Amino acid sequence: MKRITPIVIFAVFFFPGFVMPSYSQSYPVRNITVHFHNRIGNTPLELGKQVTNILGNEITIERFRYYVSHFSVVTSDNRTIPLPEACFLIDEEDSSSRTIRLSIPDIPITGIRFLLGVDSLKNVSGTQTGALDPLQGMFWTWNTGYIMAKLEGSSPEAQTAGHRFTYHIGGFRKGMETARNISIPFQQTVTQLTTLHILADINQWFTGKSILRISETPICHSPGALAVRIADNYQRQFSLLSLQ
Amino acid sequence: MKKKPVILLLLLILATGWIRFDQPIHKPRPVNFVIPKGWPKPQYDFSKNPLTEEGIALGKKLFYDERLSRDGTISCGSCHQQFGAFATYDHPLSHGYDNSLTTRNAPGLFNLAWQKEFMWDGGINHLDLQPLAPITAMNEMAETLPSVIHKLQSDKTYRQLCKAAFGDENMNTRRLGMALSQFVLQLVSSNSKYDRVMRGEDHFILPEQLGYAIFQKKCESCHKEPLFTDFSYRNVDIPLDPFLKDIGRMRITNDRGDSLKFKVPSLRNVAMTFPYGHDGRFFSLQSVLEHYRNIHGNDPQTDSLLRNGLPLSNFEIGQLKAFLYTLTDSSFLKDPRFAAPGMLFNGKPPADIHQ
Repeated sequence: MKRITPIVIFAVFFFPGFVMPSYSQSYPVRNITVHFHNRIGNTPLELGKQVTNILGNEITIERFRYYVSHFSVVTSDNRTIPLPEACFLIDEEDSSSRTIRLSIPDIPITGIRFLLGVDSLKNVSGTQTGALDPLQGMFWTWNTGYIMAKLEGSSPEAQTAGHRFTYHIGGFRKGMETARNISIPFQQTVTQLTTLHILADINQWFTGKSILRISETPICHSPGALAVRIADNYQRQFSLLSLQ
Repeated sequence: MKKKPVILLLLLILATGWIRFDQPIHKPRPVNFVIPKGWPKPQYDFSKNPLTEEGIALGKKLFYDERLSRDGTISCGSCHQQFGAFATYDHPLSHGYDNSLTTRNAPGLFNLAWQKEFMWDGGINHLDLQPLAPITAMNEMAETLPSVIHKLQSDKTYRQLCKAAFGDENMNTRRLGMALSQFVLQLVSSNSKYDRVMRGEDHFILPEQLGYAIFQKKCESCHKEPLFTDFSYRNVDIPLDPFLKDIGRMRITNDRGDSLKFKVPSLRNVAMTFPYGHDGRFFSLQSVLEHYRNIHGNDPQTDSLLRNGLPLSNFEIGQLKAFLYTLTDSSFLKDPRFAAPGMLFNGKPPADIHQ
């Protein structure tokens, strides 16, 4: 017994399985790339180019950005396995940002899940770095909190200076939450996944759950009921385009 | 005999190795945060941002650096002046970039470790994030964060100070906020005459003693000792300014019940932080107390504690003011650790305080 005790202690405290509670011990790891394709209906998004949205309004989009975080995969027996915590800023202006790399467990999976936005804890824990650095322009300094997603542009519909519409959607306090859980089912069990193409359809901002008319509400700049309404719309913007 | 020089040489090599090894491992010197006796536990989480002499030094340099503003003329210290308890002395509103004015009265900066939310409306939930608001506001320092970080990263002194404080030269937004927090957390004001009386080192004269009794009866429920605020948001029947249209706490919560509520300010150093009120509309303690005693309580939004007004006789106002003057902490107002670089202290505001 005396000889075994230190071995047991050693095993309990130093065995990697106890030290690093992560999926990587139980499964081999696979590196995959996820491409986000921003579109308006079937038209690939081109900043500064006029298009017609689903409501028949002529719009010119100048900026489109959103956070994605808390990725997880869904197994064939319907378990959700969270991936190591990471947050990415998808920015239409920066083409490299639209491709992200994830390490997933190398097991058969049936879908992927993530959070559109930034979790509430990171909204109350001081200054973050990297994609969440406030200098990325996705942060309200006067009313602490992240802008989960922003869509800016112009439209003859907008009765504002320069016919500009600006939707800065954020809010994490109770009743004002704008981060949304997204689920992308594959409709099949996939092994040896290498690449995912995810579609983000801006049309959903205008018609996802309720109608958003640029003529009526061209601006959203603070947390509140309007932001929540738009978040309920953009929750539906994602769908699976293809996978390999 | 032949071995001796060899051993000596080996020892010398060992010694030089030790010196070279020791140099890069320069550790920042930790600073202990002292909680004044009888005060509550601070809100600030020091474990996430341990205080060090190097961090505080970097924070102080940032606090007094005008380059944090767009045109290089405004520092944090421009509006937070030590002789005014780190409020803007004698200004209802403060001066910002390109002849602009702020929309609210700059609060005094002290005892921030005990504060959970910042700004008059409590919109900012972490001390480290607070500096980002004035740096980027168009009517304050009017800078962008990428530009500020670029300026700091291009500056050799900052890179060195950053390395000394945080271990490497990477000056980023997070470290900017952490260093500034380390400096402003030092601004503890706990040595006024009131504090000395409470510690049994001094005595109130009669008007102060009578004023303290009135204070405890009529003011203490919101301006709670020892910090002289309960950090709540209250509507004290100050009507909406038609130009500023500042609805206070409601701007953050979207709750109509929070309309015209503002944070209860601390009364420490109150004699030095005039004018008063969230927009500086009261120019003297007298005018504040006149406001309170003239509240009729007709507005259902007014705080319930003031619904029936706050009756105060002229006699009581005199005594109350005598007590409030004992909250001035002159050692804090003159503490050389907090002084702007090159500032000589005679304990008075400069002759030309208007900028």
